Amino acid sequence: MPGVLTALHDSLGATIFYFVLSPALKIAILLILVLTLIAYTTFAERKILGFLQVRTGPNRVGPWGVLQPLADVAKLLVKQDIIPDRAVRWVFVIAPCLVVGPALVIFSVIPFGPSAELSGAFNWFITDVNVGLLFVVAMATVGVYGIILGGWASNNKFSLLGGLRSAAQMISYEVPQGFALVVPLLMAGTLSLTGIVDAQFDQGRWFVFGFFPFGLLAFFIYFVAGVAESNRNPFDLPEAESELVAGFHTEYSGMRFALFFLGEYANMIVISAVAVTLFLGGWHRPFANVEALSFLDLGFLPGGMSSFVWFTLKLLCFLFVYIWFRGTFPRYRFDQLMDLGWKWMIPASLIAVSGTALVKILLA
Amino acid sequence: MKRFLDKIMLLDLFAGLGITFKHLWKRKVTIQYPEERMEPAHRFRGMFRLDEDRCIKCTLCARDCPIDIIYIDWHQEVNPETEKKEKLLDRFDIDVQRCMFCGLCEEACPTKPKSIWLTTKTYELASYERWENLYVDMEELEGWRVRPEYTDEEVA
Amino acid sequence: MTDHEPDSNPQPETLFGVEEMELNFGPQHPATHGVLRLKLTIDGERINDCYPIIGYLHRGTEKLFELHPFFQNVPHTDRMDYVAAATNNLAYVGAVEKLLGMTVPPRARYIRTLLSELQRISSHLLWLATHAIDIGAMTPFFYTFREREQILDMFEEYCGARLTLNCMRPGGQPFDLPVGWVEKVGAFNEAFPEKVDEYEGLLTENRIWKKRTVGIGILPPEVALDYGVTGPMLRGSGIQWDIRKAMPYEAYDEVDFDVPVSYNCDTYDRYLVRMEEMRQSVRIIRQCLEKLPDGPIMAKRPRVLKGPKDSDVYHSVEGPKGEIGFYIVGDGTPNPYRCRVRPPSFYNIEVLPEMVRGGLIADLIAVIGTTDIVLGEVDR
Repeated sequence: MPGVLTALHDSLGATIFYFVLSPALKIAILLILVLTLIAYTTFAERKILGFLQVRTGPNRVGPWGVLQPLADVAKLLVKQDIIPDRAVRWVFVIAPCLVVGPALVIFSVIPFGPSAELSGAFNWFITDVNVGLLFVVAMATVGVYGIILGGWASNNKFSLLGGLRSAAQMISYEVPQGFALVVPLLMAGTLSLTGIVDAQFDQGRWFVFGFFPFGLLAFFIYFVAGVAESNRNPFDLPEAESELVAGFHTEYSGMRFALFFLGEYANMIVISAVAVTLFLGGWHRPFANVEALSFLDLGFLPGGMSSFVWFTLKLLCFLFVYIWFRGTFPRYRFDQLMDLGWKWMIPASLIAVSGTALVKILLA
Repeated sequence: MKRFLDKIMLLDLFAGLGITFKHLWKRKVTIQYPEERMEPAHRFRGMFRLDEDRCIKCTLCARDCPIDIIYIDWHQEVNPETEKKEKLLDRFDIDVQRCMFCGLCEEACPTKPKSIWLTTKTYELASYERWENLYVDMEELEGWRVRPEYTDEEVA
Repeated sequence: MTDHEPDSNPQPETLFGVEEMELNFGPQHPATHGVLRLKLTIDGERINDCYPIIGYLHRGTEKLFELHPFFQNVPHTDRMDYVAAATNNLAYVGAVEKLLGMTVPPRARYIRTLLSELQRISSHLLWLATHAIDIGAMTPFFYTFREREQILDMFEEYCGARLTLNCMRPGGQPFDLPVGWVEKVGAFNEAFPEKVDEYEGLLTENRIWKKRTVGIGILPPEVALDYGVTGPMLRGSGIQWDIRKAMPYEAYDEVDFDVPVSYNCDTYDRYLVRMEEMRQSVRIIRQCLEKLPDGPIMAKRPRVLKGPKDSDVYHSVEGPKGEIGFYIVGDGTPNPYRCRVRPPSFYNIEVLPEMVRGGLIADLIAVIGTTDIVLGEVDR
């Protein structure tokens, strides 16, 4: 494998190789992996929800129902694509893409493993932007556009209301999320995501345990705000079936609906990935500084593969918690939801930020 | 103080999470139909069967039906073998579209063992054609055997 | 079906000239537990008025009663409140016995009490499942149905059907208890209180549940009495009225139980009342199993039951949803002359507009769940 890469490197020249071919390859592989993960998250959700509810989930398609996402994709692809008569056509078409696109773009700055020097092979991230954290927050905000446009373009007043409610919920929970993200920034001293991961290694502990209890508080606020951001239970009133309508995606059918659906799961995965990177030590194994546990390094895997495995394991834990929440809690009413966001989460996140800053000043 | 800590630490939410987590490991209650089926009880009121030999054509079942869906016609004839008058059944039709499987016809039947009984333990009455199984006449009633694993003795 | 327009609401005087919207919470909706249509007059998300329109499930049951003799009508009563068929049967059969002056043997009375209480548990389990799932908690639905399956299996062993039971006849019971049934019911009974603890652990202290149900759907006791509301709706508003204690029937005066009452008149209280009722039902079943006497199960009755001429009777029982009553007029023939049903859900639904006025649509869903209506009963 490295032989092919060095041959390409020599033939194409360093510039093209490092700026075009390598990122393109990584993007392609990452997209395939992420889309598969999204599809199988839907399957895992149905299976795990079933297990939480003492029933088996889907188990007919393939052994233990493993091919169910393929069947779902096939079904959604062949469904009739209905666009309402008086809907604004181009906005209707673009809205789902605006939901999925920004969520996937965030993956370009998340480090899945060490950089080239440490791993000895290549950079285990697509790019290392030195304002990576700001980029993440910005892209998450762009995702709200798709929802508003989807609700408005449907020419249906209930979709519009559902879309507006959804968007209001997402915007109000971005404030505590942003504040909670400032806490690892303060602890690490850099906005770059790779820098934050390295800082957790240097400081010898994950940021979730740092500056107790502010790290834990920030982690908790970030995760709960993340659940609200992706419109999941217990904050999923805008898309609940037993409420007025199905929210902003009522008029969408077939693959467009599938894109909205994918966008929600992509959001889930992105929020989990960012939480893992910022609070749980990214791709490091637990107790990365302790030499005695170096067997956890999974050295038998080539290159920096073990770091990718650890990253994925932590990510899967978060996804399980998302599904667990869905299976357990009732739903908040919309005004109670907004109450919670503005009256409780923002003061709590402010406390976390000021507490961390205070501790940092005192320690310096 | 404890209630304050309860509120802050969200203990009630974690208790709920714990309960659902425990259920992850419990045995699932799903029955994989159609490979496994639930066995109906002995008294289960399913589709009925008629046994014409036992029937004495008293029409009590037709009279007792709450929805009047049993249609019985009989006439008297002299049996050439025994030289006695006896009743012969012309028509014994049941309109299954309306039947609610209440069992009153079975209760009304005075013969022992009963001539019409509902314990064939059949509840899968779906059919592929529109004219099947909606209006069941005498021959079909007698020959109803959808659950071949049960013998007549078990079923009656 | 004529549509009566709701009382005209004057436009609210606001700075922005807000208009009210009339919204049809249609007959087909996942949250209305059947075909209930509500005409809501909403202002943004606040409900100013709510007008229930029923009749989508009308099947002419009361007319059907007049066409057949007394004992053939029992299957028709199953289908009114299809969730709790045994109490419907009991109300009808009790009324017929009162009309004809039959005494029921003690074994039959105890069996009837047992079946009623099992049915009460089953109905409350279904109520909990649908109420929780409307508010968003999906899992209690599956846990409660797991228990409900066991109860339905026991009913199947007793009378042959799971939902439309047809398990009582005027004068007693048609079948005796099968072999091993008493042990099964006893085993279920012992295991059940833990399951109730499980459901309570998931919901009762949960802050989200409390936020969705405390203070929602307030029903003041005077309003409840004015509208004729009965059952847990009434007991959640602080009025201690339970027909099992006030006018005992069957074996209820021989068993020991409490009737839970709560005083805050909101949805959370009705939830607590019904959960406690399930526990009290367990108590009653245990005592019935212990005290079950031997003896005949059917009274001596004539072959053809003829109601005495120009007689009428009203008999009611405490069903899981409230008071089910039958008013039967006899006229000397085997068929009843008129049979009028007093369905609890019909009167409970009348009070729905009082409870949701001023609330949000999300609260409407919670309130419909707590009213515990079954449209089969409302429309007959």
